[in-house]
Amino acid sequence: MESTMSDLELKDIQGLVVRGYGSLEAACYIPLQIQDGEAARHWLVTLADQITNADTRPTHTALNVAFTHAGLVDLGLDAETLASFPNEFTEGMTSERSRRVLGDHGENAPEKWVWGGPNTPPVQILLICFAVDEPTLETFSGSLSRGFSGVAQIGETLTTILLRDPQTGYSKEHFGFRDAISEPLIEGLGKSGPPATTVKAGEFILGYPNEYDLLTERPTVRVERDSQGLLPDDPSESGVRDLGRNGSYLVFRQLHQDVGRFWQFLDDATKDAVGNSDPEAQVRLAAKMVGRWPSGAPLVRAADQDNPELGQENDFGYHDTDPLGRRCPLGAHIRRTNPRDSLDPNLGPQKTLAINKRHRILRRGRPYGDPVSASMQIEDIMSADKSGDRGLHFICFNANIGRQFEFVQQTWINNPKFAGLYEDTDPLIGDRDPRGIMHANVFTEQAMPARRRVTDLPQYVFVRGGAYFFMPGIRALRYLGSLKALP
Amino acid sequence: MTHQVALTIRAKVKPGETEDLKDLLSIVGADIERNEILPFARLSNVHFARFVILDGGEKDPNQSIQPSLVFASNVDAPLGDHLTEWVRDFGEGLDQVYSHCEGYPGPDQRTPSSRLDYLQAHMVPSQAFYVNTIGRTVEQIHQEAQLRDILEGFLDRQQAEYDWSGWDARRVHAAIQDFIRGQPDLRWAERPAEGLTFGWRLKERIRFFLILLVLLVLAPVSLLVLPIWLILLRYHEKRDAAQERHLRLSHQTRKTLALDEDRLVQNQFSAVGNVKPGWFRVLTVRALLWALNISFRHIFNRGILAGVDTIHFAQWIMIDGGQRILFLSNYDGSLESYMDDFINKVAWGLNAVFSNGVGYPKTNWLVLEGANDEQAFKAFLRKHQIPTQAWYTAYGWLTARNIDNNAKLRAGLYGEKEEQDAARWLQRL
Repeated sequence: MESTMSDLELKDIQGLVVRGYGSLEAACYIPLQIQDGEAARHWLVTLADQITNADTRPTHTALNVAFTHAGLVDLGLDAETLASFPNEFTEGMTSERSRRVLGDHGENAPEKWVWGGPNTPPVQILLICFAVDEPTLETFSGSLSRGFSGVAQIGETLTTILLRDPQTGYSKEHFGFRDAISEPLIEGLGKSGPPATTVKAGEFILGYPNEYDLLTERPTVRVERDSQGLLPDDPSESGVRDLGRNGSYLVFRQLHQDVGRFWQFLDDATKDAVGNSDPEAQVRLAAKMVGRWPSGAPLVRAADQDNPELGQENDFGYHDTDPLGRRCPLGAHIRRTNPRDSLDPNLGPQKTLAINKRHRILRRGRPYGDPVSASMQIEDIMSADKSGDRGLHFICFNANIGRQFEFVQQTWINNPKFAGLYEDTDPLIGDRDPRGIMHANVFTEQAMPARRRVTDLPQYVFVRGGAYFFMPGIRALRYLGSLKALP
Repeated sequence: MTHQVALTIRAKVKPGETEDLKDLLSIVGADIERNEILPFARLSNVHFARFVILDGGEKDPNQSIQPSLVFASNVDAPLGDHLTEWVRDFGEGLDQVYSHCEGYPGPDQRTPSSRLDYLQAHMVPSQAFYVNTIGRTVEQIHQEAQLRDILEGFLDRQQAEYDWSGWDARRVHAAIQDFIRGQPDLRWAERPAEGLTFGWRLKERIRFFLILLVLLVLAPVSLLVLPIWLILLRYHEKRDAAQERHLRLSHQTRKTLALDEDRLVQNQFSAVGNVKPGWFRVLTVRALLWALNISFRHIFNRGILAGVDTIHFAQWIMIDGGQRILFLSNYDGSLESYMDDFINKVAWGLNAVFSNGVGYPKTNWLVLEGANDEQAFKAFLRKHQIPTQAWYTAYGWLTARNIDNNAKLRAGLYGEKEEQDAARWLQRL
């Protein structure tokens, strides 16, 4: 089954799923709780008219909305329909199982989170607002808040910032590296790209064929519970309507970045024999850990020094050019989060790429907190005062949380045995003490004649909040607004 | 110098005692290595072991099979030594566990030999047994893991002192050899691993040859039977497809199972399923398991099972006169990645066996489709997965890939090497 552009029901898909609204520089996320189901449903119906769909390219403001399982419960969705949602979503991000899978223990334990954990009120609805600039965003979110009915904000609005390299205009993250380079292209969306990075729409949007050429499981509603006929029929089961179609699962993780600790560690690890700092060696080790240089240039293409001309480069693999990791280490961040064609050398690059495509996610997050240096240049970041709270509001979309986001987190990022390694986890965001049962704080750089290892990697990225959300299609949103109170 | 064997003991649980037995086994499982009842770490030649209670009634309310206790272990031969160790060192622990089972000797009749008789009388065969690498003992795995740690430590110290600049791979390799030679307790590393004896390997070759010969002789008969079998197969596949309802992952309860699985490095999987009724499926699955077992024993015996290098051991056991199949495996990584590996690499093999089980996603010509229906297949595995009451692994921090790498480190440690070979060897560190 080939899905083409016309197959995607863009008017029913919420816009954030297909685009990151790069031209809308200001964004915030407003966590809400339902106080009165009836009033909240009415409010949702009016809200549905304001939701930005995937068919438009907003230039002024954009609005999207998503729900946690607790939100769907309080909106009055019936138990049978709720049970048709996948376990991962239903159990939520803080269940015993999810904690294990995601590595959320110790400093990352949900008990320490500023939202989404057991010690803060549950987020039920997330409003995602974008605007062309901060004043416009303030006006926009202010007018939205004034319209709240049956819902109330709980906790702080999560603010964001766009970090751009003033020289190139590329977006960066707080440690000083170019970010958001490698995104899968959704097949059928119009843009064409290399087949290796073009992924079937069903991996991200429910209701379309996925990389197995199947429809991912989706929530369904009995026909008699949709008397107004708001939802489409389910394509594979008679007597039920498809509540999932054009929806997606949104994973939110607030990741605090301790920029000071990161560069301090690099300094300590690269001091020469008499204890002098070596800034060049620091950047080099950081690049080995990331798999790209600060400009974004991939180590596979630029092994020895940064080459800003390759900052956009994303059309590369590892199988032929760097099977042993001597350029880009086997455990580098970008090689773990997207192993491309190198996952299983025995299978060959083509089959491996096909398998890799079953574990992709669409990233839509933005950084938060002021940068340590407005210039975003590595030299300035290294020398700046690094106090303050900053990090990444990580957001990603996927159709199957277990096979995509959780798999990447568990089997690639936090797996000490990834790619035949022994006690390494992701050098940027990995769990240093997986499950609290094994030290895995090593970073191995494959090299000639022998490998180099850095041991005792500290943790410098901390989970501070998070939840699994369902971002419904716009018809499904109207259906949620139309629910009747349970007798 | 020994191969591995699968020991499986199945005993009926006395009526009404299942819960007590589960409680007891949860104490064993909570600290499997050092608990006071059965401290597994004291056994020297056990790779993996587990206790599983087959409820019978819980998964399928129509079933009236009495609950039973299954003990399954993967051990270095000879099996006799293992059993002797059990009854000698673990006598009282065995009494505590098996006094919940029918037919166990009474308190005043318990001796090492009566216990041994009981265990032997309750042994059941595995129809198919997969071993990652035949002949690699627990001792060898432990020794080679230790060797690798020592080598890494040496490299760490050298790296801190000088950064190998100007050294070629041969020189580094030679420096490592010198260092290891200086370690008196690593003398064993100078010899290659014992592995299997020539006699044993010869016997296995002859066995495989004879099997192939018999198959060749029977080929004319097979050619006659095959079309009939295919017609029957298609008839059954069409009929079964109509009966199978749509399985959904979200409907599979997994709370208790999920907490037992996805341990960090290795995991266990236990599942039990009903064979589809009628002689056709029972015969088919028996024949397939027989063929599978031959391929495990004679072909896939060096670390990779048709592209999958994450399975340490796996067993298929037909029980209740062929009505049910018990599947037990010890593997690396998360259950999600294990299931993905199945689908991506060995779907045909799983289809061939499991499609004879009730509720399996529809297959065509035995090996097509089936597991390719990703979520239905995962739901099928989830549905039939059962809790493992206690699980032991002798090297839980090592993946099969680690173990294989360690073995190759040891094998290549000594001897003169060309620059290229030395570089390749060093890449294992």
